[in-house]
Amino acid sequence: MKRRVWLWFGIFVFLLGSFLACAAAKTWESQPEEFKGQTITVLITDPHSAVVESWKPEWEALTGAKVEMVVVPYASLYDKMMTDFITGTGAYDLICWPSTWAGDVMGGGWVLSLDELMQEYGYPDWDDVVPAIKLIVSWGGKIYALPYDGDCHMLYYRKDALENPEYRAKFKEKYGYEYNIPPKSWEEILHVAEFFTGWDWDNDGETEYGIAFIAQRKTQAMWSYLDIAMQYAAQPGVAPFFDPDTMEPQVNNPGWVEAMDVIQKLTKFAPPGLLSYGYSELRQAFVSGNSAIALDWGDIGILEQSPEKYGSKVKGLLGYGPLPGAMKTYDFRAKQWIEGYNQVNFLNFGGWVFSISRFSKNPVPAYKFAAYFTSPERSLLDVCGVHGYTGANPWRFSHFKNVDKWIEGGWSKESVTKYLETIQTILSDPKAITDLRIPGAAEYYDYLDLYLAEVLSGTKAPKDACDAIYNEWVKITETHGKEKQKKLYRESLGLPTE
Amino acid sequence: MRRDAIKFGFLFPGLLYLMAMAVFPLIWSLTLSFHRWKAATAAPRVFVGFENFWNIFFRDPRFWNSLRFTALYVALVVSIELTLGLLLAYILSERIRFRNFFRVLFLLPMAAPPIAVAFMWRMLLNPDAGIIVKILNALGVNMVRWLTDARFTPFVLMAVDIWEWTPFMFLGLLAAMQSLPISLYDAAQVDGASRGQIFWFVTFPLLLPIMVTLVLLRAIDAFKLFELVFGITGGGPGTSTESLSYYIYTVGFQYFDLGYACALSWVFLCIVLIMANFLLQRLRKEI
Repeated sequence: MKRRVWLWFGIFVFLLGSFLACAAAKTWESQPEEFKGQTITVLITDPHSAVVESWKPEWEALTGAKVEMVVVPYASLYDKMMTDFITGTGAYDLICWPSTWAGDVMGGGWVLSLDELMQEYGYPDWDDVVPAIKLIVSWGGKIYALPYDGDCHMLYYRKDALENPEYRAKFKEKYGYEYNIPPKSWEEILHVAEFFTGWDWDNDGETEYGIAFIAQRKTQAMWSYLDIAMQYAAQPGVAPFFDPDTMEPQVNNPGWVEAMDVIQKLTKFAPPGLLSYGYSELRQAFVSGNSAIALDWGDIGILEQSPEKYGSKVKGLLGYGPLPGAMKTYDFRAKQWIEGYNQVNFLNFGGWVFSISRFSKNPVPAYKFAAYFTSPERSLLDVCGVHGYTGANPWRFSHFKNVDKWIEGGWSKESVTKYLETIQTILSDPKAITDLRIPGAAEYYDYLDLYLAEVLSGTKAPKDACDAIYNEWVKITETHGKEKQKKLYRESLGLPTE
Repeated sequence: MRRDAIKFGFLFPGLLYLMAMAVFPLIWSLTLSFHRWKAATAAPRVFVGFENFWNIFFRDPRFWNSLRFTALYVALVVSIELTLGLLLAYILSERIRFRNFFRVLFLLPMAAPPIAVAFMWRMLLNPDAGIIVKILNALGVNMVRWLTDARFTPFVLMAVDIWEWTPFMFLGLLAAMQSLPISLYDAAQVDGASRGQIFWFVTFPLLLPIMVTLVLLRAIDAFKLFELVFGITGGGPGTSTESLSYYIYTVGFQYFDLGYACALSWVFLCIVLIMANFLLQRLRKEI
């Protein structure tokens, strides 16, 4: 009898142990020696590689796996990634890519749907992810990527310049009105930028300029233009890229042309090297103190905080604001201008995300590694500056709440409060315009970038450039299939597809 | 019969290798050039006949722009490199001081990888932090937007190419000069020819065959211009420095329009073959 009790007890303990072991394996948290001997390869760009660099040693030591990184420049990322997909090589398990390419990457079916992995292993606090970011990792109702970066452009301005009462008075004398802080419209920005161009307004012995933005070809200059185009050609919640009923490109309507004209004028009030500014050059130049205003994602804010590491001469001198609006906007549906102030938040780029290649031989370790460093506590360290400049900006609700960690990252309480408030307002705007999310987005944007470069260098008139972009967009749409594109465009806007 | 079989047996691996590595990709890309294939979206290939070629010649201003730029680039850089290379070779074939030092010095640019050269010049000419711009500014020369003004950028690329590849011409011509028969020079001197006459009537004609070869090799290489565009200008501003190779790369590996990229590649190949033929015939006539 006693023996039988012991036998049953033994079986119970064995079953319980097995159950617990299984349960333990089915968590997103990585387990000791879980992937011993396995190697995952991550395709990534700088500065995002800093995130993987930060967590790799810890995760490798814990799981016994090896993480290999292939770091490529942004300009080569798309072709490296796509070549791997098209040839089915499977050289990369985990890929860090910008969600603006969702149409090709998710729509092309090149990456794994993560729904099953998320269901099986869970994901750390999914409800903590901002809804706008949940949207960018999804396609056709399925999740294809893990979020890691909340992207939107914002306005940076030098408080020591714009808030200086003497300069304000001089500006009023010259232009007949007082500007807003931060400036509210592009009309105002043109004046402010002109006013602060060509003189030493911060008394550092060097000439300063009015405005800086990304302007170099193939380094995402089109976002600078889209910041302006959104104000002249879109209304809150109404995306301006195509007419969703006809799939007719809108890029040469009067709103887009006006925006092209504005950006061409702004080049006169920018540093001489503007056309060689990619995102890195812009950030470096602005934190070294050469301009009064800049447009960028949240990254300038991070660089601002580290004079030693990034040569920032503007720590504590920057103010933050949403994108300026416009005093009129073109309604493509009514085909007329609407007079009056219009301000639209735009989720440029959407944010960088991590996906698992369809050809990956190690999807589970890849998933668990990404889940590991995108968990709330760990990802906070990547976005707040504790890990330095990583290219990741806040994307979880908890990132906006835990101010102490940001202060640990070098911020003052006043600065970080304003910075986070600005980003959160943009990301949580239900009428913010999302990025173009259809197949061929990279190609549509490349032509935008191409003709924008001609406008910025003064070799093409704004209207001619917009017409040229229109012609290319028509061709690209035709090549992909107009009806198919229309359906996907409508789907991306949340409109009925029939 | 058996001997033929043995010969064929030895040849077979080589032929197989050639078929696999050269002939098959050519045929495959020719096949693709008659298809529309947007590979990025996993769309199926669709046979479109000559549509890609029609679009290249009649609907694609960017193709003509890149061809125009490439042709101008090749014509200018090759002729300047030939002239400079000839001059340098002539000077350094004489017995001058530090001759060996200069010979090595002039060869250094050619030894550097083109992509490294491109990034080095990009940094040197950077409008904000470039050392050349800083020196010019210190000398009171106004800011020149080398890399951002479409009027200058093509010439910046050409200048870098000339800096990098003049040594190629120099090296070839110097070697040729040193192998010329000394008896001809002795005879010319005995006849009382001046240095100029000796150069024009003895050296130059004897160098022509090697010059044909050097120009041909350099022209084909310059026509494939890619690294300098990729590293210095990215084809910009606008499309002012977009070479044909760079355009094909963009279509193939940025837009993944593989059918169109293959058609462009075939057009490119034909242009290079025509150019090579033309150059060979023309220059041979000169000889």
